[in-house]
Amino acid sequence: MKAGSKLESTACDTQVMVIRNTQEEAVIECGGAAMVAAPAPGDKVEPTAEYASGTLMGKRYVDEDGTIELLCIKAGKGSLALNGVALGIKDAKPLPSSD
Amino acid sequence: MTQVMKGIRVLEVAQFTFVPSAGAVLADWGADVIKIEHPVRGDTQRGFVNIGGIKCNPNRSPFIEHPNRGKRSVGVDISTPEGMEVIYELAKTADVFLTNYLPAQRQRMKFDVEHIRAANPNIIYARGSAYGDKGEERESGGFDGTAFWNRSGIAHSMTPPEMPGPLAQGIPAFGDSIGGMNIAGGISAALFHRERTGEATEVDVSLLSTAWWAAGTSIDMGIDYGEMSRNRMPTSGGNPGNPLMGNYWTSDKGTINMCTLTPGPHIRNFFMHLGKPELADDERFSTAEVLMQNWEAASDIIRGAFAEKSFDYWREHLKTYSGQWAPVQTLMDIANDTQALANDMLFEVEAADGGDPIKLVRGPVQFDHAAVKTTRAPLASEHTEIVLMEAGIEWDRIEKLKEQGAIA
Repeated sequence: MKAGSKLESTACDTQVMVIRNTQEEAVIECGGAAMVAAPAPGDKVEPTAEYASGTLMGKRYVDEDGTIELLCIKAGKGSLALNGVALGIKDAKPLPSSD
Repeated sequence: MTQVMKGIRVLEVAQFTFVPSAGAVLADWGADVIKIEHPVRGDTQRGFVNIGGIKCNPNRSPFIEHPNRGKRSVGVDISTPEGMEVIYELAKTADVFLTNYLPAQRQRMKFDVEHIRAANPNIIYARGSAYGDKGEERESGGFDGTAFWNRSGIAHSMTPPEMPGPLAQGIPAFGDSIGGMNIAGGISAALFHRERTGEATEVDVSLLSTAWWAAGTSIDMGIDYGEMSRNRMPTSGGNPGNPLMGNYWTSDKGTINMCTLTPGPHIRNFFMHLGKPELADDERFSTAEVLMQNWEAASDIIRGAFAEKSFDYWREHLKTYSGQWAPVQTLMDIANDTQALANDMLFEVEAADGGDPIKLVRGPVQFDHAAVKTTRAPLASEHTEIVLMEAGIEWDRIEKLKEQGAIA
């Protein structure tokens, strides 16, 4: 999947934009099922228990090696994975401050 | 709320609360506000781990939501020339450029008024500073705690002379939020002027000018009369010269603030509410003139009466009193204040952590009696790609800018 393209979950409402993807053969999954550009009505499945912690709108999801970055543009009940490995949230790294 | 700023785009290169809160007000009013943040760290305020000594959840941070709701965040490293090119391209699409960076930083990174105007000659350039954009201290930064509260003289006036030292501001971003509203007002007037004349102006608001304006009555008096009033030590009793002015303590340590500046028309009604109707016919208190003259005697009686009953009793009982008064509430009482609810003072946004919606205070201005409808504050760099693509920057260049570290 090329960077800049949009993917939809077949297991929930999640939609992501591919921001970075260095693995051409990568399988991007949500709710335990591969995400697709445009799911057909028959594609719908339930999220598996292991990948049902949900996605959050506006969050960026990355793998540990930084080979992929997905921007959640619609939240859903499933959670994201790359080739069967759960993705984590990329957060800002602000300098600690206190008033 | 009526989107009076619909179609106006604001490019905000600013951090903390003072200047971003101006962008938040304009966003509440319908403007498209693009907040530029550092691609790795984000707005410095995202790093606040404590607010007034209370631990802060970064996904539900009042320091981010209050000054940034309704905006889109784009991560740009403005210290790189490639990043600054992106700023110029976005400036071409904007009506207002809003910043709180110091003059030396604006010059070094090349986004001072002349640089932004080179990209867009019709842009309104709005600066928020600590001490003003002229004079030797224009290069100095500051917060509301320094410029607004202490330097201005407000801390001095707020503190009773008997206290060992000046009171602190006490409310986070208090001066910032007042000042941000001032900037939003200035920008609105500048947009109106540009609409009528075609002329784009520069707008300046400082935390110090915000404080001095807010304290203008005391300052004008002090300069002209050579003296001004200061806060008195908290006490239960009337103000010198008017017993219907002042704080009175209730039996359960609550406080009722009496604020009847013109007591004459309210004397009978007041003493009736106090449960001492006979005092309205007492020759010491029956007219404004004698009441003001005998204020100490009246104050003693009123103090005793208030101390006999509870805060809730007085709060309910005084609702029918004809003069002016207020219960001394806490800020958190807004959540159950019927007047706050009737005037849409709080609105909800979704939470970035997927938890319960977050309640936020609206700005002080309302259009057409309608409540604010907006979105939560953006996550750092949440909208980088979307905004850049909207501005006509193609994906290949977005990827290259990312590789260079110029954008998030």
